Amino acid sequence: MASDAPLLETATLISREQVAPGFWCLGFRSPRIARAAGSASYVAVDVPGVFSVRLPLGIWTTRDDEFSLLFREWGDRTRRLARLSVGSGVSCIGPLGNHFSIPVKGSTALIAAGGIGIVPFWLLTRELRAAGVNVRAIVGARTKAHLNGVAQLREAGADVTVCTDDGSEGDKAMVLDLVKRVHAANVIYGCGPLGMLRALCAHASENRIQCEISMEETFGCSMGTCWGCVVPVRRGSQQGSGYPPSPRDSRTYDFARVCVDGTVFPASDVLWLEAYA
Amino acid sequence: MSASNGAPANIDLSVDIGGVTLTNPTIAASGCYNRGAEFGRVVDISAYGAITLKSVTREPRLGNAMPRIALTPAGMLNAIGLEGPGIDYFVAHEAPKLSSVPTVVIASAAGFTVGEFVDVASAIDGLPGVAAIELDVSCPNVDSEGECFAVDPRTTDAVVAAVKRRVKLPVIAKLTPNVADIRPIARAAEEAGADAISLVNSLRAMAIDVERARPTLANGTGGLTGPAIRPVAVYQVWESAQTVRIPIIGMGGIETGRDALELMMAGASAVAIGTANFRDPLVAAHVRDAIAEEARRRGFASVRALTGLANPGFAGKRWPADRRPQRLGVSR
Ligand SMILES: Cc1cc2nc3c(=O)[nH]c(=O)nc-3n(C[C@H](O)[C@H](O)[C@H](O)COP(=O)(O)OP(=O)(O)OC[C@H]3O[C@@H](n4cnc5c(N)ncnc54)[C@H](O)[C@@H]3O)c2cc1C
Ligand SMILES: Cc1cc2nc3c(=O)[nH]c(=O)nc-3n(C[C@H](O)[C@H](O)[C@H](O)COP(=O)(O)O)c2cc1C
Ligand code: FES
Repeated sequence: MASDAPLLETATLISREQVAPGFWCLGFRSPRIARAAGSASYVAVDVPGVFSVRLPLGIWTTRDDEFSLLFREWGDRTRRLARLSVGSGVSCIGPLGNHFSIPVKGSTALIAAGGIGIVPFWLLTRELRAAGVNVRAIVGARTKAHLNGVAQLREAGADVTVCTDDGSEGDKAMVLDLVKRVHAANVIYGCGPLGMLRALCAHASENRIQCEISMEETFGCSMGTCWGCVVPVRRGSQQGSGYPPSPRDSRTYDFARVCVDGTVFPASDVLWLEAYA
Repeated sequence: MSASNGAPANIDLSVDIGGVTLTNPTIAASGCYNRGAEFGRVVDISAYGAITLKSVTREPRLGNAMPRIALTPAGMLNAIGLEGPGIDYFVAHEAPKLSSVPTVVIASAAGFTVGEFVDVASAIDGLPGVAAIELDVSCPNVDSEGECFAVDPRTTDAVVAAVKRRVKLPVIAKLTPNVADIRPIARAAEEAGADAISLVNSLRAMAIDVERARPTLANGTGGLTGPAIRPVAVYQVWESAQTVRIPIIGMGGIETGRDALELMMAGASAVAIGTANFRDPLVAAHVRDAIAEEARRRGFASVRALTGLANPGFAGKRWPADRRPQRLGVSR
């Protein structure tokens, strides 16, 4: 289970698979990080070959001394990472970030994942199943090629329904449409595009269902020092800065750092401001 | 990791910045390291000769909307907007933790008026565990339509002189590179009594999100940092080193020992590292050891001999104040 302090470790690339065009699953041997990871843990990867800050990627699966990453080729860093040869050493800091909370035995959890937002849910599903929680999951994506990891999520013990925007796999529906059809959930967990998360939080709030979401921002330091990755949270939220109110403006919220205060936030604490949409 | 781990023995790594002795010439740059606790979770932060705290303002500030960061080739843009708790909270809640920082602490004061700088610096002066005050005079000056203090020798002088009259700690003026000529600004800081200058702060810059047809940063503009700005930093340190005799803390895009040596040879007595921590948390140790190794290779007893080595017009300590060297024919 999750430990408190992150570790700086050189992980060895042991497998590399293109799971769909532009989507990769990389396996690493990194005993200390792999064994310390929990749900929603991520690693900050120093991608060799180009100057940039570390790349944050969620830990997808773990097994003994190994962890895997599942990612899309977004830009420079992910493109280069995907092209490393097996055997390469990659400097990683991890596991970073907080975790989803686990409900009592016998509850039913509903996972809502949009696209690559499936990543934090393999470890969560394992933790939920180990705690005797039933796991339903709705996994959606734009199109079939963007729908990755579903088989592993099923193997981890989730009852998965898939959907795509274009109907190329599963229902032709949005994740939220299917979420709304599930009435038995005691808790909802979300990760995916902002629009989806915002709608999910609204749904949870209307129906008074406990909900936690894992968020994303552009990271600088990944360590909590630069305040570049903030999201607005309700004032008084445990994860907010807790700084005194500012007389210079009338804003009534706090900022929380996604990298160390999150990435997981209770839906009821997250504010969806204009500047955010 | 001890301070000399990995560094060659018998080389004196210490440097003096305005009366403050650092065990080695590396400094964590303001806004990038807090007081070291976060990076201290993965590395030994005492590799740094000093840590500069994030700039503190008089009032609490929420900072800018997000996105606050945009990644650019060999660097990044940030527009944090000086988010912070304000000086009262800082003194009450953060200052008490400074005594446990395992290296020298430099506090950083920011302000939007001369009075704010004075208030913040006075509140910092005398706090246990703080060895010097850096003034982030790269802040916008609300009295002159948001132009930053350090684009004008007069406003630079006003801030530094006012603070120097009120505080006992050594004062470091942190200059902005967003000027046509750094020399009159550096000179103004020195003449106003600054004990050292540090440069460069981030370069004002911008990125456009082409997909959304709008600036990538919510704030519109931001500050460019990282290796992309290093040649600008080297040049401005070089120019400043021909102009002032007070020590210079050089920074801007340092990633390796060689980068740091460029700035030292241009005239910096110490070097600060910001963005590179976001890639390599061990950067301070690497840079420190490389500086020491270079001194050894050249047969110097002290790393101080590296300062200004490449700069024939280097003014520091070599000439009396009234006989500053002629400008060399450095083309602009
Ligand atoms: C905590 C955390 C965990 C993450 N985990 C994963 C993961 O498990 N798998 C994964 O694929 N990604 C993940 N990401 C996202 C990934 O870190 C970013 O996409 C990152 O910017 C990619 O870096 P890059 O250098 O390849 O591309 P960049 O150069 O940073 O981006 C290239 C282009 O893609 C756009 N872009 C980048 N990211 C996104 C995005 N998320 N949505 C829409 N447009 C985007 C940028 O605006 C830019 O134009 C995570 C992010 C965070 C903060
Ligand atoms: C995220 C971030 C925040 C910063 N905040 C401050 C600040 O509060 N005060 C300040 O004087 N400089 C600040 N800086 C500037 C740095 O101290 C430094 O001058 C600059 O980043 C150049 O060095 P680098 O290229 O090594 O990062 C900040 C830089 C970054 C990247
Ligand atoms: S990325 Fe720097 S504080 Fe979160």
